Amino acid sequence: MILEKIKNLNYLLIFLLILLSFIGAAGLYSAADGSYQPWTSRHLVRFYIFLLMAILISLIDIKVIYKYSYALFGLTLLLLISVEVIGVLGKGATRWIRVFGLSIQPSELVKITIILALAKFYHDIKFENIKKISYLFFPFLILVIPFGFVIIQPDLGTSLSILILGAFILFLAGIRLWKFILGLIITLVSIPIFLQSIKPYQRDRIISFLNPESDPLGKGYQLIQSKIALGSGGATGKGFLQGTQSYLEYLPEKQTDFIFTLIGEEFGFLGTIFIIFLFILLIAVCYFISIKCFHTFGRILALGVASNIFIYVFMNIAMVSGLMPVVGIPLPLISYGGSVMLSIMISIGLVLNVELNYNHKKLDNA
Amino acid sequence: MFYSDQKKQVSLYNRRTFILFLLKLSLFSAVGWRLYNIQILDSSKYKTMSKKNQIDLEIIFPIRGKIFDRNKVLIAKNEKVYDVYIIPENTKSINNTLNALSKFIDIDFIKRRKVIELSKQVKKFEKIKIFENISWSTLEKIETNKYNLQGVFIAEDYLRIYPYKDNFSHLLGYISKPNQQELALPFISKMPNLDIGKQGLEKSFNPLLVGKAGQREIEVNSNGRIIREISKVDSIKGEEVSLSIDLRIQQYAINLLKSHKAGSINVINIKTGEILCMASTPTYDPNKIIQKPNTEYWESILANTLSPLTNRSIQGLYSPGSTFKMIVAIAALKHGVINTDTTHSCTGKIGFGNRLYHCWKTNGHGKMNVTDAIKQSCDVFFYEISKKLGIDKIAEVAKDFGLGKSYDISMPNQNTGIVPNKKWKKEKKGESWYAGETLICAIGQGFVLTNPFQLAVMTSIIASNGKMIEPTIIKGNRVSFKTNDKYSKEIKIIKKAMFKVVNENKGTAFKSRLQDIKFAGKTGTSQVRRISLSERESDDFREKEQEWKNRDHALFVGYIPYDDPKYSISVIIEHGGSGASTAAPIAKQIFNYINELEV
Repeated sequence: MILEKIKNLNYLLIFLLILLSFIGAAGLYSAADGSYQPWTSRHLVRFYIFLLMAILISLIDIKVIYKYSYALFGLTLLLLISVEVIGVLGKGATRWIRVFGLSIQPSELVKITIILALAKFYHDIKFENIKKISYLFFPFLILVIPFGFVIIQPDLGTSLSILILGAFILFLAGIRLWKFILGLIITLVSIPIFLQSIKPYQRDRIISFLNPESDPLGKGYQLIQSKIALGSGGATGKGFLQGTQSYLEYLPEKQTDFIFTLIGEEFGFLGTIFIIFLFILLIAVCYFISIKCFHTFGRILALGVASNIFIYVFMNIAMVSGLMPVVGIPLPLISYGGSVMLSIMISIGLVLNVELNYNHKKLDNA
Repeated sequence: MFYSDQKKQVSLYNRRTFILFLLKLSLFSAVGWRLYNIQILDSSKYKTMSKKNQIDLEIIFPIRGKIFDRNKVLIAKNEKVYDVYIIPENTKSINNTLNALSKFIDIDFIKRRKVIELSKQVKKFEKIKIFENISWSTLEKIETNKYNLQGVFIAEDYLRIYPYKDNFSHLLGYISKPNQQELALPFISKMPNLDIGKQGLEKSFNPLLVGKAGQREIEVNSNGRIIREISKVDSIKGEEVSLSIDLRIQQYAINLLKSHKAGSINVINIKTGEILCMASTPTYDPNKIIQKPNTEYWESILANTLSPLTNRSIQGLYSPGSTFKMIVAIAALKHGVINTDTTHSCTGKIGFGNRLYHCWKTNGHGKMNVTDAIKQSCDVFFYEISKKLGIDKIAEVAKDFGLGKSYDISMPNQNTGIVPNKKWKKEKKGESWYAGETLICAIGQGFVLTNPFQLAVMTSIIASNGKMIEPTIIKGNRVSFKTNDKYSKEIKIIKKAMFKVVNENKGTAFKSRLQDIKFAGKTGTSQVRRISLSERESDDFREKEQEWKNRDHALFVGYIPYDDPKYSISVIIEHGGSGASTAAPIAKQIFNYINELEV
């Protein structure tokens, strides 16, 4: 049974993961001026562990995952709240919790459980009820509560991506377009009210984050330098390990959020387009699994994961190429950082699981 | 769930999945287009920006060329000095380090505040200069205590040193930072901090002495910190310059001048045109101008009414007095106004127009020919011949003998003086020439003005029988001077007379004669103010002790040896009394010294 499942795993998806994480490893090797330390080796070790974990997740009975979806959402929400509480007590903003020597960002995990919770919700309700406004209340809560806690951290990028993720899922579930427009208006209107209702120090944090002048040598400089790195790479790049922008420390956060520019400098336009192509492929595979799936839970889950990955990739590249303000979103599988990789690999594990269980008719009588 | 519902739901999902995928694809196309713009279309712009990011140019200053005298003695050199810097990054706190440093060297409050303020402005790994040119003992103390002086850093620099201090102040000048105008000069445009010559030979030879800057291409990181050197072109040392000046004669002359308030001595090698000595007093010490703080010294120089900055040899203008008589005599002989036998009787004065013109010898010299008149410097003889000669002919000869012009000796700001003629007076004064003025000019007074160096050149031309000497300040023989044959007959007569001035009884410089080697010359005493009639009538007006600034200037020009002239000299002592009593003995000493040296 298990062997058969392993045989049926989507190896194209796994191959794409390996390829992307290896590109990431190469970028990190270059960021460290040609050294496996301090990033590359840990990046690869993490990847292998998490890949194993993803395969293990794919082997879990999907009915169990379905059954505990709300519970998992509640659990990650608790983690998220505890981060904020620890932050207050420890007199410092924090987004992290240390588990088994790994810094975990609950906000990353919460995005997965949001997908799970929404998938379960829409799986459960009758088709005719989807259009009823009263049935929007619960999904709204699933999105707004984590959003609220993430934005006061303040993590604008992640909180924004929660909203976009929610929009993608609700759109798929069949919510009418005008409701999205209404939701957008409500969001815009509620921003000042929201700012009024939170504590002053939280408000200060958000405002100082949004005001780039509070950081004189910050965002503007980062953006210019990252554009110089990309642009000076040209069509084919300066060559592996030949990038000067990162070597001379002009690139900010070259191993995390800005690693795409380092790769762009060394491998040029060909390199950057190739990475985007791989991500499109990855997302397309998830879409394929979503369409193939018989049950709503699986469909929404696979498409939610694909959307989540899309949001990371799009926001990151738009940010480093100056299409979007710098908000601190890493590039999945390529940027250094255990938390994002963990959440991506868990969610890929779930997608693999969906594919293995695509033909289930019922999930609720285990 | 009804089957139809499920079918509807599936088709809705499929439709919306497709829409979402298209949306994501189009968003990816947007970033793809953006990347195409940055990486392909604007790539060259970003490539230049990337290069600029990494590469800095650093100028390596050249070492200034040395200056030697004619015997290869260094008279301007560069000495390694040590400057104290502080690197804020390497200190725990700047204040602590400055406190520790103040045990060895005095840091005043202003300096301390300046350093601390600077440290806030510059990048923390940049060095800030605290002291320049510290003493050896301080250097030693700082070096031995450097473990207690975090962030203190000692760097070498070069300081221009003039070992013979004020002996060459006017010749060499000094160096300093360029001003706005000088920054436009081609050879310093890239080095705004490089010292350049401000006066004298340091100024005129600057393009030669300054050398060529090198440069270092360095890779810098985002903080400006140097990562590595990409290329290095070493600077090229400035060229060395060997002057024609003989340090020993120069020193000797300066010492002789120092027993007087102000004066000038110039010695020229007649055979080569080389200037062996160009001394002017009062002097200043260029080292004290270069080494800071110099404010006090500057003020003392500027406050000195004798203006030590003036190089009297080429900038001081004096009436040549009787040294001008050779010119007048040559003109008179040349134009047939007199011959060697023509005599005039001197009674101490002559009347011309409605004025009396006096000879220096109140009782008169008696009957004089041209040789006697030069030997005893009779004024009346020259009054008489100038009446027939006229000023224009005198002026023509004066110019032929090098007066009234500047020389290509690389010395800036020469004052050319005045060789007056009728045209000159019309142009400058707007008046016609009065015949009486010719008489005054004939004894080197009135409008005639020369600088001491011109008198030395004039003497050289006479001594060399009319060779058009081109003086030079650079060592090296220049023997092929053109000879002006125009006056050779007249010069022979004059030279004999000049011999008698020194070597015959009654000659004005007879007391200053040398026994071994004979020299020839002419004394001069130039009047600084007009002597009033009442003064002249009192018998002892010449002997009377007068205020220094009213005393006559003492002059002497001459050459040695008489038979085969090799060196010419001009001596002027401001307010020194008479040429015979003050200037001639100095010339004798110098000639004697040159003989001893056998240069």
